[in-house]
Amino acid sequence: MSDTPATKSGFSLRGPGMSKFLEVYGIILVVVVMMAVLAAIKPDVFLSAQNLTNILKQNASLALLALGMYVVIVTAGIDLSVGSIMGLSMVCLAVASKAGVPWPVVLLIGPAIGLLVGWVNGVGLTVLKLPHPFIMTLGTLNVARGLTYLISNGAPISGLQPEVRYIGQAYFGLGLAPPAGIPASLILVAVCAFGLWFFLEKTNMGRHIFAIGGNPHAARVSGINVDQTLVVVYMISGFMAGLSGLLLAGRTDSGFPNAGIGIELDAIAAVIIGGASFFGGRGTVLGVLAGVLIMGILRNGLNINNVSAFWQQILIGLVIIIAVYIDVLRRRAAVRR
Amino acid sequence: MKKLLLTGVALSALLAMAGSANAAYVLGMKGPGAGNPFWAAVEAGAKAKAAELGVEVIVVAPPAESDVQAQITQIEDLIAQKVEGIALAPTDPNALAPVVDAAKAAGIPVVFVDTRGTNEGVTFIGTNNEVGAALAAKYLCDNLAAGSEVAILQGLISQSTGQARADGSKKGLTDCGLKVVAEQTAEWDRAKGLSVTENILAGNPNIKGIFGSNDNMALGASEAVKAAARTDITIVGFDANPDAAAAILAGDMAATIAQAPGNMGGFGIQALVDLKAGKTLEPWIDTGTVLVTKDNAADYK
Repeated sequence: MSDTPATKSGFSLRGPGMSKFLEVYGIILVVVVMMAVLAAIKPDVFLSAQNLTNILKQNASLALLALGMYVVIVTAGIDLSVGSIMGLSMVCLAVASKAGVPWPVVLLIGPAIGLLVGWVNGVGLTVLKLPHPFIMTLGTLNVARGLTYLISNGAPISGLQPEVRYIGQAYFGLGLAPPAGIPASLILVAVCAFGLWFFLEKTNMGRHIFAIGGNPHAARVSGINVDQTLVVVYMISGFMAGLSGLLLAGRTDSGFPNAGIGIELDAIAAVIIGGASFFGGRGTVLGVLAGVLIMGILRNGLNINNVSAFWQQILIGLVIIIAVYIDVLRRRAAVRR
Repeated sequence: MKKLLLTGVALSALLAMAGSANAAYVLGMKGPGAGNPFWAAVEAGAKAKAAELGVEVIVVAPPAESDVQAQITQIEDLIAQKVEGIALAPTDPNALAPVVDAAKAAGIPVVFVDTRGTNEGVTFIGTNNEVGAALAAKYLCDNLAAGSEVAILQGLISQSTGQARADGSKKGLTDCGLKVVAEQTAEWDRAKGLSVTENILAGNPNIKGIFGSNDNMALGASEAVKAAARTDITIVGFDANPDAAAAILAGDMAATIAQAPGNMGGFGIQALVDLKAGKTLEPWIDTGTVLVTKDNAADYK
């Protein structure tokens, strides 16, 4: 952890212009290169408006999960429960939607469940003083998934109110042939990303979150209410997971109890590919979004080239390792200079 | 200290609640009945038959679909409890074979339901998935012009069910002159079925038919097709779950293949009771497949 806290905003005191540029935008370059390669292999399909729309809407719910996970990882924590929160939110809002609860209330159910489970995570961590967030969130991963099965009784609950589906399904055609256009889910992701960026960079609590990740002891000594801040951090992650459930339920018109199994690992991978550190205190919102896009574009590229799912898994594993290794090299170079 | 004691008491109370029942027949499923209406129906069929015969049935399933290790552990624990018989849907036939042998060695009768195991002399009670998938392929053949482009959404082809449906549909579709331009797995999952279909549509705008190896994936495909405002794509699923029946009645899907999951559970328990009574069974008890279209979809809602 040789990083100075200043690197979090991409501002490096040591590096000259070029390495600073790479530090902030290097990951975006990776996205651009990947797109160029795929465009070269499948020019007629990859760059079509329909396919680009597909990439955006297929990864919107992962983007929300990853944004939430990012805040947790900045504090050197981890939240394994997000996939289960997503499933629980979807099933609960689907039950409510079928029961005829007014749609404005149904919209709030997912995020509310996320906040609640996140609060439980935060309290478990800070009040019960469980040794690592891995344990508390592993517990809630199981509890929330179990509740999901109990409530849904196993069966998917399909047929939601159109207003509930809107954010996950609607798109603005801009005169393009359906289903191409700007997905409503993209707008939600953009709003959340901007909100999170503002919160982390421009508010006291945001700065405290980075301080806790850099050095929790120092943060405590300097008068930051670490426990309270951590509870908020896990609530943010839960909130994003609940919102993400709302997106996926809208997209699939269903609350299905197996939704989101294992997706927490994708979210963690996206955050790490995007340049955040497991040791906390480092990362950018832009990097996280790029991390999500890298995974999404990779999957899409393999799909449209009809590559078997088994290879996809192998390649995604390799990309995680390579992306983080490039990051290691880049940082080493920046420190030397 | 007091806290510790309390925690201990609470834990043992939990264990007692979870409890174990002896002298019961076991239905060991591949995935939780919570999680998939198919398994829920197998479970219901077994329970109904058990009630009819006046025997007790315990239903176990790994917490997640296809968790092989968890299933092995469950069956081992049940053998140790000396249950009356086991109707097993193996997550992985090879991996479960030793456990099935162990059960037989312990004098516990075993039958396979839904998925055929590898053990010699164990009766299989289930659907011929290849025949079912061929039935789905025939529907597409009958309803599409020769030479039309079609896509297959595969399940997990590491499982025999996924493999049989992929093979049966591919053979049926190519034999009648349709052109299979995409075969991809969506891992039995609705969200993945949706994403994979979006990608297929982007790459193959001339697709006229889609076979989803289960209804979850076919329903995902129908969402993608609706979003693309395509009304000229015929979608056929497999399983005839209630959501698919509703989609067929609404015109979003064209057809699906009904298995009889209730039969699997019911026949499974019946077979175990018969074995216990010393009867011999046929090596394969077929539970049958039926084409479900607008005409009979109402029966499956």
